Amino acid sequence: MKQKNNVLASILLIVVLSPAVAGDGVFSGMVRDYATLRFDQVDMPVHEITANLKYDYYGDLGKLTLHPVAYSKPNKGLELELQEAYFDFYLQDADLRLGMQKVIWGEAEGAFITDLVSPRDMRSFILADFTEIRKAVPAIKVDYYAGDYTLQGIWVTHFIPSTLPSQDSMWAQTPSMPFPPIITTTTINDSTMPESSLENSEAFLSLGRFGNTISWKVNGGYVFTDEPLVTGVTAPTPTSREISQGYERYGFVGGSFNTTLGSVVLRGEAALALEKPLNSVDTTSTPPISIEYHNQVQTLVGLDWNMLGAQWSSQYLLTYTHDHTDSLVSQMKPIKEFAHTLTFRVQDTLLDERLTAKLFTYVELEPANALIRPSLSYNFGDGVLLEGGVELFVGDEEGTFGVYQDNSMAWAALRWYF
Amino acid sequence: MNTRTTKRISVLALLLTFALLTVSAANASSGEVMWEVYNRDSGETMSANLIMTITNSRGAVRERRIAQYRMDKNGVESKLMFFLSPSDVRNTSFLSFSYEDGRSDDQYIYLPALRRVKRIASDSKNDSFMGSDFTYDDMGSRHPDLDTHTVLRKETVDGVSTLVVESIAKGDEDYPRTLSWVVEGEWFGLKKEFYLPDGTLGKTLTIDEYEAIDGIYVITDMTMRNLEENTCTRIQMENVEFNQNFDDSFFSERQMKIGPRR
Repeated sequence: MKQKNNVLASILLIVVLSPAVAGDGVFSGMVRDYATLRFDQVDMPVHEITANLKYDYYGDLGKLTLHPVAYSKPNKGLELELQEAYFDFYLQDADLRLGMQKVIWGEAEGAFITDLVSPRDMRSFILADFTEIRKAVPAIKVDYYAGDYTLQGIWVTHFIPSTLPSQDSMWAQTPSMPFPPIITTTTINDSTMPESSLENSEAFLSLGRFGNTISWKVNGGYVFTDEPLVTGVTAPTPTSREISQGYERYGFVGGSFNTTLGSVVLRGEAALALEKPLNSVDTTSTPPISIEYHNQVQTLVGLDWNMLGAQWSSQYLLTYTHDHTDSLVSQMKPIKEFAHTLTFRVQDTLLDERLTAKLFTYVELEPANALIRPSLSYNFGDGVLLEGGVELFVGDEEGTFGVYQDNSMAWAALRWYF
Repeated sequence: MNTRTTKRISVLALLLTFALLTVSAANASSGEVMWEVYNRDSGETMSANLIMTITNSRGAVRERRIAQYRMDKNGVESKLMFFLSPSDVRNTSFLSFSYEDGRSDDQYIYLPALRRVKRIASDSKNDSFMGSDFTYDDMGSRHPDLDTHTVLRKETVDGVSTLVVESIAKGDEDYPRTLSWVVEGEWFGLKKEFYLPDGTLGKTLTIDEYEAIDGIYVITDMTMRNLEENTCTRIQMENVEFNQNFDDSFFSERQMKIGPRR
C-alpha cells in the first residue's frame, strides 16, 4: 500500500512539474472541501477534502491524459488514486484511446441501462459527483467515423468490478441470510476475481448515428456482473455457514436515441440482458442460495424541456425480469418482476447566473420510497463555488432509498476549479 | 347609389390604391436594405475567440472566454463553441444548427463532468445567451421576413453615412420595435435600439470597433446595454479568421469532445 502511494505521489509530482518542462501540457482540476451532517444521529460522518487533478499533454501523435485524485479525511491517511491514465491517437477517420479510462454510454440520467462499460464506485452510495461514481477500466477503445455514423469497439482487457461500501460504512447493508436459527455464524468471503486471461476480458460494440432529426445508438457487450453473486454456501461446522462470492458472465444488446418534439427533447434507452445470472434463495434447497439465469429488460423514456426560465427533466425506468419467481434476489434483496422508477429534475439559475437551484428526485413505486436531493450552488467567480444541499431518504425501508432513512443528511461544499 | 357618391368612392379607391402602392414601394426598398444586411458576405466559415464581459447592476464584472467556429452551408448555420474560461465551465462545448427555412434550432451540449453529449431543449430566441444581455436572436442573423421594415432617414454616425431602418416585428417579441443604423453600401449595423411594447427604449447596442478582415467587415467590439436592468455585456472578438478549411465532420459530437483546434 505504502509502495502504491509512493508511486502515485511520484506521478502527482511529475504531473505538477511537467507543465514547466513541456510547453504543450495543460494542468487543471478541482479542490473540494465537503462535509455532511446526519439529521438522525446529529453526527458528521463525512468531512473530506478532495484534490481532483487533470493533466493533458498534447503531442504530434495525440494527447496523454493523467487524472490522479487525492482524498483526505480526518484521522485517516491520504488516499491517492490514479483514476485515469490514457493516450488518445487522433487519426483522419478514427480515434484510438489506450489505457485506464472511463467510458459512458446511453441517454439515461442517474440510471445504468446500456452504460455497463465502466463499473461504479458505490462507497458513497450514489451521492458522489457523477465522474467519481464511475471507475476506469483498462481498455482499448476505437472509434471509426463515416459521415454521421460512428462505430465503436471496446476491449476491456481486465475485468474491474464495482466497489461496494465496506462493512463499517454508513452505506453498508446487512443482508438477511436464509439460514435457520441454529446457524449462529455466517462468514462472507471476499469475492473471487476472475483469472486475468483473454477469455475473461470484456468486449463491447456500438454503432451510432449523430443526426439532427434523430440520434441513435445500438450496442451490446459480453460482460461480467459488476456486483458479486453468491456462488456457493458451505458448512464448516453444524452451526456455521461460509458464503463464497464471485462474478458471472452474460451478454446484452441494447440501444438508445434522442430527438426533439417541438421544443421538447425525447430520450429513450433499452437493454436486454441475455441469461443474466441472478441469485435465488430457497430455504428448502441445499444449498439455499443458488444462481439462476433469466432474461432481463430495462427500458427508459425521458423528456427534457424549458419552462418558466428553468430546465426540467423527467424519466421513467422499467425493469422486467422474465420467468420471474419470488425467490430471486439482488444483493439478498427481492427482485420484482416489474420494477418502476421515476426521476424528476428541475434546475434554474438566478442572480445573474451566480446562484443555481436544483432539485433531483428518484422515486421507486413499489415499495414506495424516494431520494429527494435539493441543492443550491453560489458561484463567486474565478472558479470558486459554495454549495449546500439536503439528501432526504424517505419511504419504505425495503426500498433502495428508504433503507437509508437514518442517513438523511445536509451537506455543504466549497469548490475551487483551476 | 347616385353619381356623386360613385365619384366619391372612385376618388377614395384611387387614393387608397396610390397610398398602398406608395407604402409597398417604400417597404420593398426598406426590406431590400435588411435583405442586403442578411445576405452580406460573412464568409462561409469563420473562427474567432470571444471575450464576453458581463457587468451587473451593482457593477460586478464576470468574464467568459469562448472559442467559436461557424460554417454557413446549404441553408444551415453550424456553430461550435468551446468555453475556455472560467475554469468551472472549461471544456464545456456547445453545438448548434440553425436553419434558414425556419425550423427550430438543434442544440447539443458536452459537459465534461458527465462525459456525454446531450441534446438540449432549444432555447427561445428571446432567451439570454449564456447569462448575458444578448439574446440568441441578437447573436445570430434575424430573418428579414420576421419584421416589416421602413427606412426612416439618413444619418451620419461618427462620419459614416447610415440608413436608419425601423423594424416592426410581425410576431410576439419582447422588443417589438427596433431601430438599426445600417452603413450604406457595406450593409452592417453600427448601432441598434430596442424598444419595449410600451414604446420606451429597453436596450441599446453600440459598435465600438469594426475592421475589414479578408475583405469582410467584422464587428470586433460591441456592447449591449439593458436600460431596464441597468446591466451591460461587452463582446470583443480576437483572432478572427475567415474561410478556413472546415468540413461537416468538424461540427460533430467527436469534435465537441476533442476540444478546440490546437
